[in-house]
Amino acid sequence: MKKELQRNLVRTARTTTLYILVAGVAMVILFPIYFLVTMSLMSDFEMYNEWPLPMLPSFSMSFKLQNSQKGYLLSIYNKVDNTYLDMLDTNDTGYIINFVKRKTNCTLTREKLNEIIEELKNNSKVEFKLRKNFLLNYTLFFRLKKDAWPAFLRSIYTAVVTILISLSIGGMGGYAFSRYFFKGKNFLKLGVLFVRMFPAVATAIPAAIILGNMGLYDKPIGLAFIYSIGSIGLTIWITASIFLSIPVELEEAAQIFGTSKAGAFWHVTLPLALPGLAACAMYAFIGSWNEYAQAIILTQFNPTFPVVVFEYVLGATGMAHLATAGGMTLAIPAVIFYLFIRRYILRMWGGVRV
Amino acid sequence: MDSLTHSRSIWKKAAPYLLIAPTIVWYGFFWARPVIQAFYGGFFDLNGHFTLDNYKFVFNDPYFLQAIFNTFFIAIVSVAVEFVLAFGLSLLINIRFKGAGVFLFIATIPMALPFVAIAAMWKAGLATYGWLNSFLYHVGLIAKNGKIVFMSGNKWPSIFVIIIIDAWGVIPSMMIILVAGMQNLNEELKEAGYIFGGTRLTVLRKITIPLLKSTITTALILRIISAIQIWAIITLMFGYLRLPTLVSQLVFYSDQRAPADPVYYQRALAYSVIVAIIISSIVILYLKVSGSFRKEENG
Amino acid sequence: MADLKLENLSKRFSRKVWGVKKMDLSVKDKEFLVLLGPSGCGKTTTLRLIAGLEEATTGNILIDGVDITDTPPRKRDISMVFQSYAVWPHMTVYDNIAFALRFKHLSKAEIDSIVTETADMVKIDNLVKRYPDQLSGGQRQRVALARALAVKPKIFLMDEPLSNLDAKLRVVMRTELRAIHQQTKATTVFVTHDQSEAMSMADRIVIMKDGVIVQIGSPDDVYFKSTNVFVAGFIGMPPTNFFTVEIIHEGTDIVLKHPFFELKLDNERKSMLYDYSKRSLTFGIRPEDITITSEKNNLLKERALVVEPQGSLQIIALKIDDKIVKLVSAREHTVFPGDMLFLTFKQNKLHFFDIDTGERIGDL
Repeated sequence: MKKELQRNLVRTARTTTLYILVAGVAMVILFPIYFLVTMSLMSDFEMYNEWPLPMLPSFSMSFKLQNSQKGYLLSIYNKVDNTYLDMLDTNDTGYIINFVKRKTNCTLTREKLNEIIEELKNNSKVEFKLRKNFLLNYTLFFRLKKDAWPAFLRSIYTAVVTILISLSIGGMGGYAFSRYFFKGKNFLKLGVLFVRMFPAVATAIPAAIILGNMGLYDKPIGLAFIYSIGSIGLTIWITASIFLSIPVELEEAAQIFGTSKAGAFWHVTLPLALPGLAACAMYAFIGSWNEYAQAIILTQFNPTFPVVVFEYVLGATGMAHLATAGGMTLAIPAVIFYLFIRRYILRMWGGVRV
Repeated sequence: MDSLTHSRSIWKKAAPYLLIAPTIVWYGFFWARPVIQAFYGGFFDLNGHFTLDNYKFVFNDPYFLQAIFNTFFIAIVSVAVEFVLAFGLSLLINIRFKGAGVFLFIATIPMALPFVAIAAMWKAGLATYGWLNSFLYHVGLIAKNGKIVFMSGNKWPSIFVIIIIDAWGVIPSMMIILVAGMQNLNEELKEAGYIFGGTRLTVLRKITIPLLKSTITTALILRIISAIQIWAIITLMFGYLRLPTLVSQLVFYSDQRAPADPVYYQRALAYSVIVAIIISSIVILYLKVSGSFRKEENG
Repeated sequence: MADLKLENLSKRFSRKVWGVKKMDLSVKDKEFLVLLGPSGCGKTTTLRLIAGLEEATTGNILIDGVDITDTPPRKRDISMVFQSYAVWPHMTVYDNIAFALRFKHLSKAEIDSIVTETADMVKIDNLVKRYPDQLSGGQRQRVALARALAVKPKIFLMDEPLSNLDAKLRVVMRTELRAIHQQTKATTVFVTHDQSEAMSMADRIVIMKDGVIVQIGSPDDVYFKSTNVFVAGFIGMPPTNFFTVEIIHEGTDIVLKHPFFELKLDNERKSMLYDYSKRSLTFGIRPEDITITSEKNNLLKERALVVEPQGSLQIIALKIDDKIVKLVSAREHTVFPGDMLFLTFKQNKLHFFDIDTGERIGDL
């Protein structure tokens, strides 16, 4: 009896330690991401006038307006210190409206302001609350960075072209690798691997010259051509394993039952490979979407979205809420596609069972 | 009849080459040509005259030695740190406790994030008024006026910060390789170790790690290859030139200097060649170690 | 229905590796022909050559006298059942069966009636709407069969179709395949490495080794008149026991001398050796042709080593001259390991083989 108790105790202690460790690691991973999301939803005021940063973004802000010698004195409530901070002393009502929006992500309408000013005639101060516009950082990011939206579209365009090129060219290569034995196969496989691992940045400058000669420098299509190098290699490896997983007999059966080799590919192999090919396309999308190093060198006036975010993060001090919004906008499509193909990616990295 | 057989089998023989030809053409045009151009162009000045000035510039560049040091120091230390942590994490996942699947899911989330987003996240976090200090305050680790200055810009703290951020971003992919290796390991080999008198530690040391040797080499070399190309996270945190690396100098000269003074293109080319040579030698080492050269033609 | 002819057919994979070597074979109309041999003997290659999945290096393939050597598979008027079934997983059973029919420009109603009819024949009529992953191995096998039957081919090819089934189902399917053959009368070439399958199903068996035909004949032919040591050893379970003996002429008598026994031949056996001039030979005797006898007229005696009861029979293994010899006897009296056994051979069941070439000696 005593022994059993002891055993249970040891077991409980062991499990508890394990789960504390696991929870700790999970926290280290999740907290930065949590804050990335949170900060992208915070206003300038929350970021830079309140410290420590709240764990949750506010849904509304409290203001106080007083009469002053200049005109009106605007104060904003600081939740952390429980005080009003005097922010602005002006008689320019338009500026007040603008300031409220920029500083707190809240919309103060002119009607509302007029009402408050009306009230001020009878009172020395008026306190009021405004709902925060939650996603304003995102719209603000795109409004402030004029080339962000075109860059966003260019990034999608580049990714799509990259997918088309790598899936058609790499898919053919993958099929050859999976279905045929031929001289030089191993050499080619190694070559593909080598090219894939070769530092892409190192070829970017001469590639820029070559694209320039073709009139494709600083154009998304030229970028897609260069991105295809890496993604063709990847596609070959993935599609080869996809085609290998489809038994040759299925194709042979189709050939016997009335169709040609091409027909067998069309009727049997392609439909069976489709989910894998879709995953492969998404992987190529992620690769192209996230790429910035080559894009910085290969573009000048027409950057892609990661480059815009890169430049913003590089230059932005005191604009972290907008920088995080930009980072989030960049991350969301990548994460969505990643979640779709997580199983494939993990399997590709060496066959992790999930 | 004979000629028909002949033509059919020629097509059959040619098929794989025809299928692989577009890849070769594409590689030749958009990869081999730039590579050759880089090697060749580095020896010429803007007027097309042969010169060693570009390399002379690089080797006399006050940032070059720093870049070499930073690149290799950060690469080696961060890969070592990341390996230890990734290995620990994979051992943890391999215990297969309840919820290990969820944990694996969480642990692989950073893989999905673009590096620029990760940089934005940490830049916001490591600012003195950023979320990391706030978080430390919330959990009671620092006082309100005891904020830690993470981004002082001093060399060693900066390197430390970079290693932490890099580790956060890339440990998952390293971990995945190791987890896969451990899963593919035959459980019975370990069980036999326990039966014949091994403790947890001796089984890990004498059985698991030796059996994982090739997986571990793969993970390490793949990581070193990308660690040597580190630059963006440094540049985004500290700007260019504060903590130069080989690739950051390459980008700096080609993107920041060259538009004003085209001779920097040639100098950046010299940097490109140096980076390319260093990394290709590691890649070749990797291919050799992984046994890719040994596979038979028909394998 | 049709006949099939292979003329001088060869398939060379590389300089040294031959899949099939100069093969001549003719399959008669309505015949059920089985290609039998150990793995790597070229039987599957032969089938794939007939199907058109491999290209012949030399030689010709003729169906009804028409050369189809260079015709692509789809135009050969053949159909095939694969070892792995090769049922398309992304199509329903119905679509699997109808696949080939849709290339034949048949009307919807015609396709429908053929699919129903064949599905009925192989008893999967209630499964046509399902996908293959909802079926058991045996059911998938039937789908593959139905798909092959639906096209009403001239030649029906089967590549070890039963090898992935469990033992019990395999025996059931043998009977069913034979029944279907009786019904359709399709010329069939069936590949297997399982000799009992071959014996129970074939009209004729073709035994192959290293890409060459070793013997062609009815199941009885290959069993009772094995053409060489290889066939005699390959056919039959447990396999034939072989003894290497010296030929001693004692006057008009011929005695086969073995370290453990001396066997005096009867007249008929003697005549079989009439043309054989070498000093020794190999003879084979099947396990059921070694009989347990009484002490006084035994040829040799030995203790039983292992006894495997098999219901009404028992397989007894014993060691003679360091070689395992097996015999099968009825269970009239059960033998136990260690029992002393007195044995003799049925003279008329002896098979003589050339000591060097392993070829059969004598006409019988």
